[in-house]
Amino acid sequence: MKAFAASVEDVFREASARWTLAAYFVLSSLFILIFAFAVNLDIVNGALAGAKLFGRSVDLPGRRVDLDRLVLGFESGFSAFLYLVGTFLAIFATAHLVPRLQEKGTIDLYLSRPVGRIPLLLSRYAAGLLLAAANLLYLIGSIWAIVIWKTKVVHLRFLFGGGVILFAIAALLAFAFLVGVVTSSTGVSIMSTYGVFFFSVLLAGHERIAAAVSKQWQADFVHALYWIFPKTAELGRAVVAFVSAGEGPARLQQSLTWLPFATTAAFGLACLGSASYLFRRKDF
Amino acid sequence: MTSAISVSGLSKQYRSRFGRSVVNALGGLSLEVEPGEIFGLLGPNGAGKTTAVKILLGLTYATSGTASIFGIPVGRPESRRRVGYLPEGHRFPGYLTARATLSVFGRMSGMASAELERRTPELLERVRLSDWADVRVKKFSKGMVQRLGLAAALVHDPEVLLLDEPTDGVDPVGRREIRDLLRQEAERGRTILLNSHLLSEVEQTCGRVAILRQGRVVRTGRIEELTRREARYRMVAEPIDDPLVEAFRATGAAVERVNGHMILSVRDVAHVNLLVDRLRSEGRNLKELTPDRSTLEDVFVDLVRTGSESEDPSGKVN
Repeated sequence: MKAFAASVEDVFREASARWTLAAYFVLSSLFILIFAFAVNLDIVNGALAGAKLFGRSVDLPGRRVDLDRLVLGFESGFSAFLYLVGTFLAIFATAHLVPRLQEKGTIDLYLSRPVGRIPLLLSRYAAGLLLAAANLLYLIGSIWAIVIWKTKVVHLRFLFGGGVILFAIAALLAFAFLVGVVTSSTGVSIMSTYGVFFFSVLLAGHERIAAAVSKQWQADFVHALYWIFPKTAELGRAVVAFVSAGEGPARLQQSLTWLPFATTAAFGLACLGSASYLFRRKDF
Repeated sequence: MTSAISVSGLSKQYRSRFGRSVVNALGGLSLEVEPGEIFGLLGPNGAGKTTAVKILLGLTYATSGTASIFGIPVGRPESRRRVGYLPEGHRFPGYLTARATLSVFGRMSGMASAELERRTPELLERVRLSDWADVRVKKFSKGMVQRLGLAAALVHDPEVLLLDEPTDGVDPVGRREIRDLLRQEAERGRTILLNSHLLSEVEQTCGRVAILRQGRVVRTGRIEELTRREARYRMVAEPIDDPLVEAFRATGAAVERVNGHMILSVRDVAHVNLLVDRLRSEGRNLKELTPDRSTLEDVFVDLVRTGSESEDPSGKVN
């Protein structure tokens, strides 16, 4: 346990010393500042002032919307944006953890200690997730606090939606670790993980793609890929559906099922298991 | 008594990516290092020294054979609990300070914080880095990094030290300090396996050595045994002149005059005693008579240059 904790601490020291952590939080802060600036625009202030005067509802072109529902709608939409930004920032900030560990002259120092290879790899993985979780908490928590400050509307689901984002990051980080173990390259880890993210989004339309191909085996292949790859598009929709708490369109609410979570978890576990197996067998 | 390091029939083959070519890095290495020994592992580049050390640490897996440290098979993390390792060309994270380096690697070795707090200043003092304790490693010179590496290898007070080129990049004063430190560790009963190209360094530090070539042990033994030349003596006498040389040669000895002394190649000890008697009978003074020794470098170069005929067939070191 001491070795595990020391390894986790080492990752945080490295992140702060290499400016990764700083860049990660500066970028997040930039989003928060832009958001804070946007909600302080005269038009927003005016609408909110009106809502306070006239029974917590806001006049929109053609209709009158309850402030609670307006905030919920905003938070639901913004959570999709946070899903994308949070995931990309997290992969960018943590994909180096395995390639750097495997560098010649460095790996010897770690593996010569009485710590197993798999615990060492998993400690780096845990540290990467902790780093991503800390940043998500900062990013989502700040926006959540700004919304409360401006509207006095409290939606805990917006905050908890970060859990779904972290789940997606966990699966993608496992893939980044697998690529890192095999290639020892940070660049390849980042690029391939982003590639998986976008490819999975494309595969969300597997029914239409399968219908468009001419042969049955090609259709089966597309379906198989869909079930193998993480469900990044579905998870994005799930974040929005979760935050909107049944208020969104019916089609959106139907996407909040266990299947994308289960298959994405299977993908992540398979990647992490393969990474551990290969890391344990590797000659350094 | 259990050997500190025990290696039997260790071999390692590296395959190219698609398995087309095979390189034999180790070909049946066997050796035993007893507790408290300073043992040198010598050999030209590619002889298999580093591969052997990496197998001992579980960094690389052997193709066949067995290895253990204090009876615990290598590959099990527990075997490394009693081992300190200084790799060649190590790269400590530049963002860590010397103190943080010892903290991270000490805790990875299972040390408690209180123990680390007590041991860190003591170790930094021993390697002359006390004034640099809170400076980041990236500011260190090569010699300082090497000394820090030694401190990190010693941080958990291991019983076995595996050192790969420990004086690499260290100035002469620093080298002597490292040698002294290693001797102190050996006096405390620590076992040291030293892997170095600096033969003079090995000669001054190690008790026994094994010389590797192409993954096999070609010569082993104590330094004095390896460097002793059979039936050769260095004699300083007064006066040394041609009649004396001729008198010696008449007994069947080969005599070589070198800078005021003679190198005598004799049959045996009785023969050298005969020469001494002859010297004295002629009223000459014997000032010095010592067995002639070669340097470890001479032995090493001879072994590396000669073919496999001198190879230790068992490859076993005891």
